Amino acid sequence: MTARQRADRLSGLAFVSPALLALAATAVYPGLWVLWLSLQQRIPIFGIARFVGLEHYAFLAGDARFWNAVRVTLTFTVVSVALELALGLVVAMALQRQQAGRRLALSLLLLAWALPSVVTAKLFEWLYHPSAGLVNVLLGGRELNWLGDPRLALPALIAADVWRTMPFVALLCYARLLTIPGDVYEAARVDGAGRTAMLAFITLPLLRPVLLIALLFRTLDALRAFDLMFVLTGCEHAGTTETLTVYAYRSLFQTLQLGFGAAVGCVIFALVMAVAWAYLRAIQPEGAAA
Amino acid sequence: MRRRWRAWDVAVLVLLAAWATPYFWQVRTSFTPDRELLAAPRAVPAAPTLAHYQAVAEKSVMPRALGNSFGVATLTTLLALVLGLPAAYAVARLPIPGKRVVLLVVVASTAFPQISTVSPLYLLLRALGLRDTWTALVLANTSFALPLLIWLLAGFIREIPIALEEAAFLDGAGRATVLRLVILPLVAPGVASAALLTFLAAWNEFLFAYTFTASEASRTVPVALALFPGVFEIPWGDIAAASILASLPPVIIVIALQRWLVRGLVAGALKD
Amino acid sequence: MRSAALLLAALVVLGGCAERPRTAEPATLVFKHAKILGPLDPIPGLLREFERRHPGVTVRSEPLTWTSDEQHQFYVINLDGATPAFDVLLLDLIWVPEFAQAGWLLDLSPWVTQRELAPHFPAAAAASVWNGRVWGLPWNMNVGVLYYRADLLAKYRLAPPRTWEELVEQAERIRRGERDPRLEGVLWQGKQYEGLVVNVLEHFWASGTALLDERDRVLAEPARAAAALRFMRTLIDSGASPSWVTAGDEELTRRPFGDGRAVFLRSWPYAMDLFEAPDSPVRGRVGIASLPGHAGGAAGAGATGGFHLAVNRRTRHAEAAVELVRFLAGPEGQRAITAAGVALYPTRVDLYRDPLAIKAHPHMPRFHDLALRARPRPITPYYLMLSTTVQPEFSAALVGVKTPEQAIDYARRRLDYMLSGIR
Repeated sequence: MTARQRADRLSGLAFVSPALLALAATAVYPGLWVLWLSLQQRIPIFGIARFVGLEHYAFLAGDARFWNAVRVTLTFTVVSVALELALGLVVAMALQRQQAGRRLALSLLLLAWALPSVVTAKLFEWLYHPSAGLVNVLLGGRELNWLGDPRLALPALIAADVWRTMPFVALLCYARLLTIPGDVYEAARVDGAGRTAMLAFITLPLLRPVLLIALLFRTLDALRAFDLMFVLTGCEHAGTTETLTVYAYRSLFQTLQLGFGAAVGCVIFALVMAVAWAYLRAIQPEGAAA
Repeated sequence: MRRRWRAWDVAVLVLLAAWATPYFWQVRTSFTPDRELLAAPRAVPAAPTLAHYQAVAEKSVMPRALGNSFGVATLTTLLALVLGLPAAYAVARLPIPGKRVVLLVVVASTAFPQISTVSPLYLLLRALGLRDTWTALVLANTSFALPLLIWLLAGFIREIPIALEEAAFLDGAGRATVLRLVILPLVAPGVASAALLTFLAAWNEFLFAYTFTASEASRTVPVALALFPGVFEIPWGDIAAASILASLPPVIIVIALQRWLVRGLVAGALKD
Repeated sequence: MRSAALLLAALVVLGGCAERPRTAEPATLVFKHAKILGPLDPIPGLLREFERRHPGVTVRSEPLTWTSDEQHQFYVINLDGATPAFDVLLLDLIWVPEFAQAGWLLDLSPWVTQRELAPHFPAAAAASVWNGRVWGLPWNMNVGVLYYRADLLAKYRLAPPRTWEELVEQAERIRRGERDPRLEGVLWQGKQYEGLVVNVLEHFWASGTALLDERDRVLAEPARAAAALRFMRTLIDSGASPSWVTAGDEELTRRPFGDGRAVFLRSWPYAMDLFEAPDSPVRGRVGIASLPGHAGGAAGAGATGGFHLAVNRRTRHAEAAVELVRFLAGPEGQRAITAAGVALYPTRVDLYRDPLAIKAHPHMPRFHDLALRARPRPITPYYLMLSTTVQPEFSAALVGVKTPEQAIDYARRRLDYMLSGIR
C-alpha cells in the first residue's frame, strides 16, 4: 500500500466516523435494542422490567387484532401501490407530451406530495365530512360516512394515500421519459409503429427499471405508513383502518406496554426487511437496477 | 424559451389542477366564515374572512409551533450536512475499510421503520432527560435524515470527474482541502437539493415529534395541527387556516425551488 | 360566666389563628389545570384569595390542553423522571392510582387524614386513596344521569323508567304518538373513547356484572357482559337510538337533546346548566333520573367522574402546595364552584344542601341523591391500560364488526395477558 493509499484510508475513516457514530446511536443501537425490548414486559412508568422471552410473539401469533392489522396493512399496501404506479405512469406519459407550462404542471403535481401528512389527513377529514364535505356534495348530497362506516373507511384512507404519493411515482417516470430522445419515437413511426406499439415496445421497457425502483420505495413506505391512518382515525371504529404501525403505536403509548409494542415493532421491522431483501434478490439476475 | 400553448398542454394543466383540488378546497375553507362552513358549499365563500387566520395567530400554539419546526428542521439539516458531506465524500471516493458494511448500514437505515425505533429512542431520550426539547427531535430526525443525505450526496459527488481532484493532488492538496475547495463548490447545487429534501422531511416528520414532545416548548407544526383544540365542535375553518400555514414552507419549496427539489428527488431514485 | 369568657377568649384566639396569615418563605407555586369551561372560571379568584392568606406565596396558573388524552400524555412525559415544572396538578380521578403507583404524587397522608375525606362523596373519597395512602383531594364531581323530557313523559302519563327495557318501550310510545320523524329515542356516547367505556360500564353494572370485580378478575361473567353489549347494539338496530351515536360524544349528543329532538339522554350534570339557559328550547322541560337498571339485573347506577387535586412529589414547596390543595378542596374552595355560571359541581356533600348553592343550581339536591349511589370506574393503576384495550372491542361490537361475545372474549384474553405477571 502506498503512502497515499494509507493516507486515504485514514482520511476515509476520519470522514465517515462521525456520521457512523451518529447513525449507530440513533438508528443501529435502537434497532438492536428494540429486539431486546420485545423479549421483556416493560412498563417504564411503573418500573416494571421483566424478561418474558418469546411470550409476546406467541401471543401475537394467536391474536385476532394482530392478524386484522396484518390484513389491513397488506390490503392497504397492495391496492395503494398498484393505484399509484398505474396513475403515476399515466400522468408521466401525459407530461411527456407537455410542451408549454411544464413548471406550472410540476408545481400542481408536487403540491400533493410535499404537504405534511398531517395536513393531508386534516384535508381529507374535511373532504369526507358527511354533510359539508366536498366529496359527498359532488356525489349529489348523499350523506356517506366515509370515515365512520367500516366498509368505506379503508377505501377512503387508500384514496388519501394515493393522492399524496402518486406525484412521486409520476415524477420519477417523467424524469426517465425525458431522457428518451425523440428520434427513437420518430424512427418507430417511420417503421409504421402505432401508438400502442410504441408504448409497449419503447416506453414501457425503458421505464421498467424506474417502475421497479418506484415499486420498491413505495412498497416499503406503504408498509411503514403511520401518519395518515393515525390522524384520520379520530372517527375510526374497531380496527377497520388499524395497520400494524398504528397497532404498534397504540400498544406502545396508549397502554404504555413498551415490551409488547416493541414486539409488534419487530414484526414490522422483519416484514419490511424481508420485502426489501426479496425484492433485491428478485431483480438481481438483471444486474444493478437502472 | 416561449412555447406555443396547445390544447394538450391546457388539458394536462386542468387535470393536474383538478388533482390538487383538495388543497385548494382547504384554502377556500380557511377563508370561509363559520356560518357558511356547514351550509351548502360554494366554490368561493360569499363573505371571505380572515377570522380563522386571526384565531390561529392569536389563540393557538401555531406561531410557536412554526418557530419550533423551523428550528428543528434547520438544525437537523445542518447537522446532517456537517456529518454527511464528509461521509458522502468518503463513501464515493475513499477506500474505507469495511466499506460494504458501511454502505449496508447506511442503506439499511433508510428502511428502518420509525415505529420500530421509536420505543428505544423514547427510553434513550428519557434517560438523557431530553424530552420536550429541540435536541431530542434533532437527534431522532438524524436517524433518517443522515442516511438520506449521505446517499444523495455520494451520488452527486460521483458525478464529478476525478480528474479535477487529481489535479489538486498534484498541487499537494490533502483530502480535506480537496473536499473543501474542489468538491464543495462543484457539488453545491446537489447539496442544495439534498438539503431541501432533508429540510422537507424534517418539517413533515410526525411520529417522533408526537411522541417526544409534550408542550409548546418543543411541539412542531404537524403535532400542533394534529392536536388542534376543538372544545365542543371541530373548528374546521381554524384547522384549515392552520393547515395552510403549516404547509407554507413545503409549498414555497415546490414552487420557487422546484428545480433543486426535482433534482434531489430524481437523483435519489435513479442513481441507485 | 368565667367559662363563657374563657370560651369567648379561646374563640377569638382560635379565630385569629385561623385568619392570621402565615409568614411562609417566598415561594411561587405553579398550578397546572385543565381549562375550565363555561361562562365563569372560579380558579383565578380562588388563587388570589389563597395568596392573600399566605403572603409570600404566589400561585401561577397554567392551563392544560382540553382533551383528556393530551393531558395524560403531557403529565406522563413531564412527570416521569423530570424536573418539577409544576407543583400542584389537577388530574382526572381515573389517573390517581396510576400516578401514585408511578411515584409521581406526593403522599398526602401525613397532612390529610381519612377524616378529612369524610365530607366528600364516598365514591370521590375512594378515588383519592390508593394502597391505604391519600394521594389527592377531590375537587369536582361528575355522575352519569338520565335526562328525560318531563313534558313528553307527563303527556303520556309515564313515570321515569326504572329499567332500560321500560325506557325503550316509553320512547317507542312517545315517538309513535308524536309522529315526529326527527324525534330520537335515547342518545348516549358511543364513540370510541373513554366516554364509551363509561356508558358500557353503566350497562354492565345494571346487568349485575362489572369490568373488574372485587377479586380483581377481568370480565368474570362474560355472558352477562356480552348480553349488556348486545343490548346496546339492539338500541341502535331497533332504532331507539340513531346510528350516529357510535360517533357521538358528550357535546354531539347534548345538542340534539337540547334542541328538543330526543326523548332521553345519558349525560353528565353540566348539561343541565345548559338546558336551563334562558334561550334553551327545552328550558323547564327536562327531568333528571337515575340511570335505569336492566330487567333481571341490578338497579342502575351512574359512573363517577371528576377531577382531583394532587401535589407533584418533586415539588420544592411541599407545605405551601399541600395548603393550596387543601384550600381548593376545602369548604371555601368548593363553595366557589357552586357560584352561578360555573358549570361544575362540588364533591363536598354539605354544599348540596346549601341555600345559596341551590339557588344558583336548583337541581343540586337531585344530583346529590344520584351521586350518593354512583359507582367509580375500576380504581387501579392500570385503568388506562384497561380502557384503551377494551375501547376498540366495545366499539367493534356496537358497530357490528364483531359479535358482543367475540368482543368480550377477545377483551378478556388480551387483558389477562397484559395484566399477567404484574398483578
